[in-house]
Amino acid sequence: MPAPYAPPEQRQPFENFAPYRIHRIVNMADGDAEKHFVRDIGGLAGTWRWTGKHPEVRVFLRTNQMLRYVIDFTIVEATFKDTGPVTLSFFVNGHLLDKATYTAPGSRHFEAPVPEEWVEAGKEATVGAEIDKVWVSPADHAALGFILTAIGLRQK
Amino acid sequence: MISALAALLGAALTAAACYAAGAMLIDRLGITLRRFERVPLAFTLGAACLHLAIFAILTLQIAYWPVLTVLLLSVVASAVATGSWRLRGEPEEPLSLNLKRVCIPLFGIFTLLYFFHAWAPEISPDGSGYHLGYVARYLRAHGFERVTTDMYATLSEGIEMLFVPAFAIGKHSAGALVHLAFLAALALAMLAYGRRLGKHWVGAAAAFLTYASPVVGIDGSSAYNDVGVAAVVFSTFYWLEIWDATRQAGDLPHQRALVPIGLMAGYCYATKYTAFVMLLFALGFVAWRTRKLGRERLRSLATVFLFSSLMIVPWMLKDWIIVQNPIAPFGNAIFRNPYFHPIFEKEYSDDLRSYGVTDKRQLPLEVTIRGGKTQGLLGMTFLAAPLALLALRYRHGRRLLAAGLVLGAFYFANIGTRFLIPPLPFVSLAMALAIGSGPGTGPPLLAALMLFHAASSWPAEMHRYSDKFVWGLNHIMFNQALRLIPQEKYLRESDRDYGAARLVEARVPEGEVILGLRGVPYSYCNREILSTYQSALSQTLIDFINASIIEDYEPTVVESFKFPERSARRFRVLQTATVSDANAQWSVHELRFFDRGMEIPRRPEWRLQAWTNPWEVQLAFDNSLATRWRTWETVKPGDYLDVDFGGDQQVDEVRLDTSPDYYEIRLQVEALDSSGKWVLLARDPKAVLADRGNYSLRRAATYEINARGIHYLLTGDDDFRADDIRDDPEAWGLTEVASGDGIRIYKVAQ
Repeated sequence: MPAPYAPPEQRQPFENFAPYRIHRIVNMADGDAEKHFVRDIGGLAGTWRWTGKHPEVRVFLRTNQMLRYVIDFTIVEATFKDTGPVTLSFFVNGHLLDKATYTAPGSRHFEAPVPEEWVEAGKEATVGAEIDKVWVSPADHAALGFILTAIGLRQK
Repeated sequence: MISALAALLGAALTAAACYAAGAMLIDRLGITLRRFERVPLAFTLGAACLHLAIFAILTLQIAYWPVLTVLLLSVVASAVATGSWRLRGEPEEPLSLNLKRVCIPLFGIFTLLYFFHAWAPEISPDGSGYHLGYVARYLRAHGFERVTTDMYATLSEGIEMLFVPAFAIGKHSAGALVHLAFLAALALAMLAYGRRLGKHWVGAAAAFLTYASPVVGIDGSSAYNDVGVAAVVFSTFYWLEIWDATRQAGDLPHQRALVPIGLMAGYCYATKYTAFVMLLFALGFVAWRTRKLGRERLRSLATVFLFSSLMIVPWMLKDWIIVQNPIAPFGNAIFRNPYFHPIFEKEYSDDLRSYGVTDKRQLPLEVTIRGGKTQGLLGMTFLAAPLALLALRYRHGRRLLAAGLVLGAFYFANIGTRFLIPPLPFVSLAMALAIGSGPGTGPPLLAALMLFHAASSWPAEMHRYSDKFVWGLNHIMFNQALRLIPQEKYLRESDRDYGAARLVEARVPEGEVILGLRGVPYSYCNREILSTYQSALSQTLIDFINASIIEDYEPTVVESFKFPERSARRFRVLQTATVSDANAQWSVHELRFFDRGMEIPRRPEWRLQAWTNPWEVQLAFDNSLATRWRTWETVKPGDYLDVDFGGDQQVDEVRLDTSPDYYEIRLQVEALDSSGKWVLLARDPKAVLADRGNYSLRRAATYEINARGIHYLLTGDDDFRADDIRDDPEAWGLTEVASGDGIRIYKVAQ
């Protein structure tokens, strides 16, 4: 039996209280990122990957409440020179969420709320984007869309 | 290739030193063995002695590879110099040509299978985990370390001690090869036992039944210890037979044979706690055989006991000094200590008794032909194990079965197939004795049995009838053993956990301790991982995490005891109910005292006590709802939380912040009056649901983990808690630093 203890240091409540919000974003640099790929996503180069026309990932969601579609990507100057302005369509479980047209190259972020009925809690959902014009490499005829850094769903 | 050769060298030198040490002791005692039994018995006896020498080296903190190498070389050199190295002994009748024709190809092909598996890089779960994990750790530290955070570090490590010099020279594969040497010694000892009985075919067939058993093959060619235990146990039995035979023959040195009996019986405990029963068997056997000898009986028993103590006491002392419990990690309710919770033993035992086998009548099929649940199989031939009972007709059969029964007595405490390995040699011998003792018909029947066992135990055939995912060998691993497939490539491709271990080592700075919701094979990882159930600390820290996401563990209940204002120096909350559920615990997140509606602030002069689990009482007084004091054993009447205010204090209400995960518990509040008697103030508290709407238990949980100097958290992808953390690391106060190979590593926010 140890000697009696004095009261320990008293903990104080956190000032920067952060409510819990679910994130299911697939970062391309994740060790297990490829496990989530459905189609059209190439090999890793640093923290990003080239996509084809319609990259898509699969994520597991424990909720369908207050979800937002999130994507971080880059329109590459080298391909933009040939394709000109491109339009991206954003999909969740095959439903078209929105479209956006990009008239200049550069890094982009897009997010938008996802209707509850598109996602079933406790099941996997597919999250994707489609570019209207791909750049075809003259050397190996590879069709390149854009550079993808992260894509997925998160709670608001 | 150099690493492959180093592994061979390390194992060969260790095995040679074992034989040399044993041979010298046998000669020193003046015991003459038969030539065929000298090698296996000297090997296991020497292993017992050498393990003590290595224990001493680790205790002295001088475990450098030159020291260990010099130890091995000097033992071998001494044996050569004294002539003990030579294979001497009474000559025996040679084995028949037919026996050789059957044995050489059968033993040969299985030996190839085992040898290359043992020589290949080690990927067995426990072998690359704790069996070699602590060998590697002790070698890094050049001696024993004070490990209080892992139950596996407290187990006796009699076989693993021999892995130490082998590993120092040849790393992981050398450990597995040393274990394989025990398998060879076991087979040779069984063969020799048959020859001693004058039944060559019985010995050979029994040795092969055990040797070719699939679970024996995979275990014996991995850095485990079960086959080593079996070899040590059988050697103890063998020495008892030798002692009995020399005693009956009136040979003078028979008393000296009690020395190896004692050493080997004690070494049984040193190799595995459950093999302790072999000491009881040895004492019982000696007591029985000397029952008419008066004082000689006492002297014989004292000799066995004394020499067995030499092997047992060091391990008990180590545990007593380090974790205050000589039989750790068991007996924590007797030898109470802050390092292991008594409930861990219960939960651990429940798991080991179950393995998911709900209907125990399925066990005979499970351990012989299925093996998926109990992790390995003995082989189809052992469906005929009941035939062993026919050996009761013979005196030696009765002795074999008695030993097998004693060793199997603890089997239902752990129904994994490999826990049948120690009694397996006895059952095999009894089976062979029963089948093969008929005049004329014995050898053909035994030869047919051996051929059937070989065919049904060879991996390709075994996998036809076993469960799909069974722990067993697959093929001869020539390329892996010779490192024609590079070791790193083989390990990464065949063992995902290896990749996880390497990821931890690459991404967590040296010296950091990690809290693991799962483990990794730590013989490949130089980081300390506090994992799951393995210590009181890890259980308590993981409870912080569980209590923040499992609804029943959350502090959603406030129990209030109100009573007329009372002035006293000491108050306590006492539990009075006897519960029917052995898993029932009592837990308190916070215990608060009030007077006239105002909480009495906690002051440094307060003194806190609890029973049970007195060491964690502060968790109920730290103002954190993420932490809780728990009994960590079945709650009993008389369990309490006690506060001494240091002087009289007026109190009219006591509140407990607690969780709804306990029931059947009855609490009352008492005060200590001036005469030293506890006076009842209130019982049957009013319970209300607490409002925790704006409180982050997740963040508070990791804050507590960080406050204990642990800055990293490891999760496995197949864990429900991992999903919750991955979905919002920020809310947990975590930052992901790496992922892959089935794990994620997070850094805990400061």
